[in-house]
Amino acid sequence: MIELNGLTKKFSNGKGIFDVTFSIPKGEVFGFLGPNGAGKSTTIRHLMGFIKPSKGKATIDGMDTWKDAAKIQEKIGYLPGEISFLDGMNGMAFLNLVGGMRGMKQTSYRDELIHRLQFDVKTPIRKMSKGMKQKVGIVAAFMHEPEVIILDEPTSGLDPLMQRIFIEIVMEQKEKGTTFLMSSHSFSEIERTCDRAAIIKDGKIVVVENIHDLQQKQRRLFDVTFASEEEAKRIKQSPLDVVSTTDNRAEIAVQGDYNQFIRALGDYQVRNIDIHEQNLEEVFLNYYNKEADPS
Amino acid sequence: MNMTLYAKMLKVHAKSISSYAIGSALYLLLIIGIYPSIADAPGLNDLMESMPESFLAAFGMEGGFQHVSDFIAGEYYGLLYVVILSIFCLMTASQLMARHIDRGSMAYILATPNSRKKIAITQAIVLITGLLIIGITTALAGVIGTEVLIEDKPFEAMTFLNVNLVGILLFYVISGYSFLFSSLLNDERQALGLSGLLTIVFYGMDLIGKMSDKFDWMVHLSLFSTFRPVEIARGTVDVWPMITFLFLLGTVLYGVAILVFSKRDLPL
Ligand SMILES: Nc1ncnc2c1ncn2[C@@H]1O[C@H](COP(=O)(O)OP(=O)(O)OP(=O)(O)O)[C@@H](O)[C@H]1O
Ligand SMILES: [Mg+2]
Repeated sequence: MIELNGLTKKFSNGKGIFDVTFSIPKGEVFGFLGPNGAGKSTTIRHLMGFIKPSKGKATIDGMDTWKDAAKIQEKIGYLPGEISFLDGMNGMAFLNLVGGMRGMKQTSYRDELIHRLQFDVKTPIRKMSKGMKQKVGIVAAFMHEPEVIILDEPTSGLDPLMQRIFIEIVMEQKEKGTTFLMSSHSFSEIERTCDRAAIIKDGKIVVVENIHDLQQKQRRLFDVTFASEEEAKRIKQSPLDVVSTTDNRAEIAVQGDYNQFIRALGDYQVRNIDIHEQNLEEVFLNYYNKEADPS
Repeated sequence: MNMTLYAKMLKVHAKSISSYAIGSALYLLLIIGIYPSIADAPGLNDLMESMPESFLAAFGMEGGFQHVSDFIAGEYYGLLYVVILSIFCLMTASQLMARHIDRGSMAYILATPNSRKKIAITQAIVLITGLLIIGITTALAGVIGTEVLIEDKPFEAMTFLNVNLVGILLFYVISGYSFLFSSLLNDERQALGLSGLLTIVFYGMDLIGKMSDKFDWMVHLSLFSTFRPVEIARGTVDVWPMITFLFLLGTVLYGVAILVFSKRDLPL
């Protein structure tokens, strides 16, 4: 459904995206991961026909995303990364505008979404909180039930409850065969919804893999608190990858083999286990190192 | 053109369009209102003769006023009309394109199955509609105002309407280059600044050229040389060459703006 072939855009400052290639079959939910400034939004802007590639091309349903931009929009729903609406109107007026420009007649799904996301559409947009604006954007992207939905950091600004509702809505649309591309900088955010994901760094695709394989490869850090300092010292001798110890606490890295981790800890008095929040580079340390080494 | 976008945009800009239209009409009525007291004052034409020739020339007032229409052409169309319509055209043009590109709201407009050309044409028509509403309201205020406020003073309705027609076309061109800057640039303030600067340079060149013989070549480079309200009101110039020139130039500018917008990268 979505094909990117050697998509390259070099900005005057040398930044950009380079030879981005992947394809998303119909009905797949595809995650697009990368740290800030990696080139996620730039890639998505190509798919929306906002910028012209320097080299390569992207197609959606066989149509060129630059040349056939307007035609492709019939099939697409889009949530931009930076939410900014037109001023001087409320949420409903905005949705009516976008719906009207699409020639959309059916409003029942739109109203259902508004109800489920629980927000007041009568609020003037400039008085809305970030999360509320995000909800309006989500409704605008989903309301016409398009074949392809492209979401740039869809959950930013949503509270955990709303994130869950959002995931439900994505799953329902997926059931209907909708194709998704969603960007994020956190793996935990997309592992719940996506079938496959690409990781991008400095404008280059590092890996494209299915979520289960990525889950195997992600490296997680656990903060384990033991009953005594000796135990914390003793764990260093175990086959586990102990990153550091302080007093009775140890920081242990686990990649894929959780059973070994649990078995090893069975011999100890464990007071507490905490999972360490990490950024994408730390989670996929080996991918990033592999990329960094040859250069 | 996309009707939904057109209607919404017109609604968003309705307040500013109507306030400029009402403001312009009221100023004009005020000028018409003071005409009788000035025309009857015996010293006026003597006073004007005592002023330096070049100063009068700059405002198109040489030779005194014979008619209501030249009086309002000189007093209103010479300066205030230009200021009011310039501000409207520059502000609205920068808001219709550059602001949406700058803030990113253009992304939502383009995320609908409408080509960029269609979107730009719609926004251009919003601007032209606003200009026409203000221009026509002013012209009507002039015709009705002289009818009601002034008794048996000669008023040349035909030449007065010509002043308005050429005026509107002049601003068709000014709004045209403002719209071009607005479609070309990513920054609203930059678009506003550049079109404002160009307008001031044109106006300044016209003013200096008229006041000083040494710089009279400047007049020919200024867009404002096409708009001589007093001469048009007196019927001493043929307006058709200007009308044709301004109409063609404005249309080319809008055309280029629409083309540029549909071909360029947008940082949305
Ligand atoms: N129009 C432009 N001109 C020059 N550089 C640009 C332009 N657009 C983006 N960049 C640069 O390209 C890089 C990629 O930006 P992009 O917005 O695609 O990142 P991102 O992955 O979406 O990041 P984030 O997670 O912060 O949204 C950045 O370094 C950015 O500064
Ligand atoms: Mg981004």
